[in-house]
Amino acid sequence: MRLEKCWFCSSTIYPGHGIQFVRNDAKIFRFCRSKCHKNFKMKRNPRKVKWTKAYRRLHGKDMTQDSTFEFERKRNRPLRYDRINTEKVLQAIPKISKVKAKREADHITNRLKVGKTKRKIEARKELEQSISMVKAPSAFKEDATLTLPKQKVTVSYTQTETKPMEE
Amino acid sequence: MAARLFSKSSSVGHTLLGALGTSLVGVGSAAREATTKLNYSDIFFQQQRTFIQMRTNLKVVDNSGAKRVMCIQALKSKKGAKLGDTIIGSVKEAQPRGKVKKGDVVYGVVVRAAMQRGRCDGSQIRFDDNAVVLVNKQGEPIGTRVFGPVPHELRKKKHVKILALAEHIA
Repeated sequence: MRLEKCWFCSSTIYPGHGIQFVRNDAKIFRFCRSKCHKNFKMKRNPRKVKWTKAYRRLHGKDMTQDSTFEFERKRNRPLRYDRINTEKVLQAIPKISKVKAKREADHITNRLKVGKTKRKIEARKELEQSISMVKAPSAFKEDATLTLPKQKVTVSYTQTETKPMEE
Repeated sequence: MAARLFSKSSSVGHTLLGALGTSLVGVGSAAREATTKLNYSDIFFQQQRTFIQMRTNLKVVDNSGAKRVMCIQALKSKKGAKLGDTIIGSVKEAQPRGKVKKGDVVYGVVVRAAMQRGRCDGSQIRFDDNAVVLVNKQGEPIGTRVFGPVPHELRKKKHVKILALAEHIA
């Protein structure tokens, strides 16, 4: 059984799922579900629709180059059945998928790091520019730290009676 | 029937726009015409596709000489013909000096249908247009060539000859 990829969202199409459209020049478009088929009929470009794999790859959202992608490949020549080989492959599959998931997660954390440092710099800048809002300039001249002195505040806490739910 | 409606509506649109074009005269009218054309084609593309039934026009994709066939009877099924079914049709357009001529009543196998059809594994297949290959009463093709893609389901329907002649099998 061959697992095909959806033309629109690049997800895997398992046997018995989806619809395929054959154009008159014999090009086959396979769709995993009616959502993808409808989007195709609306003549949408998968590279411009945000939820597709094509968009995510194009915009650097997902990992694109990795050795774990080499294992999943289109093979046109059927392999001769080999019991030992098949066993090895079946053992390797969970390991490979684990490595792949880890690397994909790392890719996303790396991608998000840029925003984190950027936000930190911006926050620091804002603090420096508008420290006068919380600290008087004269006080700031005496003590040029951006942190405020800690003060103890007494909080009055009154417990409200909670009524049990009426039935 | 829907196809006929479409052609009628598009022709109406054309005449209206033609009148507009003559009155306005300019680039704008041409652009408007183009956009409306696009809209019509979109509607055409998204219409609900149904069975091949009486009065459905089908393209003939072999070299029998016929160009267009109108379905006059779908065999086997009451609702109409699907992909791979046999129909009886009347030749509406034909090339000169072909094996069949205009007005002939012929048998044909539907090799492409715009309505989706379930496959043996549960998925579905649909094509761009409705097309037919003319056969005789015994189910042997009249022509010697078949153009465009055909589905592999024809093997189940015992039309192996058509599959052998076909350019592409989908």
